[in-house]
Amino acid sequence: MNEPTVFIVDDDQAVARSLRWLIESVRLRVENFGSAQAFIDGYDAARPGCLVLDVRMPGMSGLELQERLAAQRIHIPIIFITGHGDVQMAVRAVQAGAFDFVEKPFNDQDLLDRIQRAITRDAEWRDRDLQQARLRALFATLTPRETEVLELVVEGLSNKAVANALGLSAKTVEVHRAKVMEKMHARSLSDLVKMAMQRQG
Amino acid sequence: MNAADMLPASDTLWLALVVLGGSLAASLIFLGVLLGRLRETERRLDEKESRHETVLDRLQENEFRLRTIIESEPECVKLQAEDGTVLEINPAGLRLVDANQPADIIGRKIFSVVAPEYFDIYRENMRRVFAGEAVVYEFRAITLKNRVAWMETHAAPLRDARGNIYALLGITRDITEHKQAEEQARRHQTELARVARLSTMGEMATGIAHELNQPLSAIANFSRGCIRRLRSGGMSPQELIVPLEEVCEQAERAGDILRHVRDFVRKREPRLKSLDVNQIVRAVVKFTEHEARHQCTHVRLNLDPLLPKVAADAIMIEQVIVNLVRNAIEAMTEVTPSRREIVIQTRLFESDSVEVEVADTGPGIEGGLIDQVFDQFFTTKPEGVGMGLAISRSIIESHGGKIRAESSRDGGAILRFTLKISAQQSHRRERADSIHS
Ligand SMILES: Nc1ncnc2c1ncn2[C@@H]1O[C@H](COP(=O)(O)OP(=O)(O)OP(=O)(O)O)[C@@H](O)[C@H]1O
Ligand SMILES: [Mg+2]
Repeated sequence: MNEPTVFIVDDDQAVARSLRWLIESVRLRVENFGSAQAFIDGYDAARPGCLVLDVRMPGMSGLELQERLAAQRIHIPIIFITGHGDVQMAVRAVQAGAFDFVEKPFNDQDLLDRIQRAITRDAEWRDRDLQQARLRALFATLTPRETEVLELVVEGLSNKAVANALGLSAKTVEVHRAKVMEKMHARSLSDLVKMAMQRQG
Repeated sequence: MNAADMLPASDTLWLALVVLGGSLAASLIFLGVLLGRLRETERRLDEKESRHETVLDRLQENEFRLRTIIESEPECVKLQAEDGTVLEINPAGLRLVDANQPADIIGRKIFSVVAPEYFDIYRENMRRVFAGEAVVYEFRAITLKNRVAWMETHAAPLRDARGNIYALLGITRDITEHKQAEEQARRHQTELARVARLSTMGEMATGIAHELNQPLSAIANFSRGCIRRLRSGGMSPQELIVPLEEVCEQAERAGDILRHVRDFVRKREPRLKSLDVNQIVRAVVKFTEHEARHQCTHVRLNLDPLLPKVAADAIMIEQVIVNLVRNAIEAMTEVTPSRREIVIQTRLFESDSVEVEVADTGPGIEGGLIDQVFDQFFTTKPEGVGMGLAISRSIIESHGGKIRAESSRDGGAILRFTLKISAQQSHRRERADSIHS
């Protein structure tokens, strides 16, 4: 189920089928949608992969679909396929955050490479999201006091300085700090600093 | 015996149902008869209090039967108040709007399931019904579950015993599929028309390139997919049959496109014939009727019955009038539906020409732009190409005529063009003149 899928949205059935045939030749999973609306209705954002999209479509255009997905905070990478003379549109799409675009007629290897890159990018994004979610969950286990200690520690303050800043004894800070390390599964101070930075995204 | 004979002639419901007509007629006639009887019973109830009990019984019985019929009617049947409140709706109707129970829609405004861009058109049609008209209209619906569908409603007024209209009776069906098919056909046509128009401007190559790109990229993708599979082995020859058939189909599709283009190119050479402009106007009105009705636009004709024939290419002149009518329809989407009117007139002009005038009640053309509207690629519409009037002018001028635009005193736009009377006709005219003098 978590195998990446290439989602194709194209109103031209023949073109969509041919893309599927081509992309499946490199053993990727492919699903076709006949319109932007059909994709919005049928796509589950938990599914990894990338989106291959025709810029020009009747009804909701590729660009509009991109906007709708962005509004719904769905970040699947999009590769736009543009026809003759649509380069301006493609540039706009990339400015709005699209992953890439290819101009028709395109080289098959070129398209497949871009698709691979998009899938890798998607996996990285999802990985990062997962990491962040895990970190958020860890941070959530800290008490308010522990959080305060953590924040000062990662800024590079010594135990004593932290104790001064919070009006605690150095001993208490020591205890809190050990607790924080344990709860966050951090092996060293630099681990902890990294986690704090990652949390910021 | 005709069902109409069974009812009092004054029964407006019957009339309403006749107008609604179509395939719904059979079941609705029955429904109409029952409603008619119900009304009759009511009337008697008014007059003769004495037989109160029995009449009430019958009324209830009739109402019960009526309900059973409406309930089992496969099409959506609903009653609406003047402000759009849904008063009654049958189970088919509930299904149509994705309601789980009657309370989801009854008592609410119908606008909760009408797409906002159709509010005006819907209101205008409701207004007409409550003014006594029977109407047919299409609109885009967004159901309670956010499903988008196209609907067609046949609506007619319902009157009480005193003749006051108290509700709108509407029968609605889902025409989404039909609409999609129509849309596809239209898209194909406009695409070709676009190619044809570009051809006159020497930009045909772009149009063809765009159209041909689709089948060509499909062919490339199918073939590359085959080569990759053959290279990596493990593919049986049988598995190649389907994609190769697809390749053939796409090659044929490309051939079709080229054939169409060639046909259009051939059509481009003007073939002058002696023809009746009034007839062309009527033909154009007929095939733009759907668009006009869709936009609630009323088209009025004021054609000179004694108009002499002109020398022109029918298809080209048709294209000019279509362009003018389309522009008028498009311009009037900005004004309220009840004020949308196009008037097409024909008349004799300076004794050797005929003039055709298309006037609308839209916002008109800004003074400064009057000269520019005929320029190629001049457009103020997001979807416009700006070729309609440019092509119209080149067609009219190639016929030796003139085309002009102006704004009318009440604000709308007026577009006029002239065509020369054909030679045979003007001979006859001269003769007629000399006889008179
Ligand atoms: N009846 C009208 N009322 C108001 N403005 C009009 C009318 N007809 C034309 N125009 C103006 O003239 C412009 C040019 O018209 P034209 O038909 O050449 O192109 P278009 O309608 O914009 O695009 P298309 O090539 O699709 O017809 C329109 O965009 C519009 O601004
Ligand atoms: Mg136009």
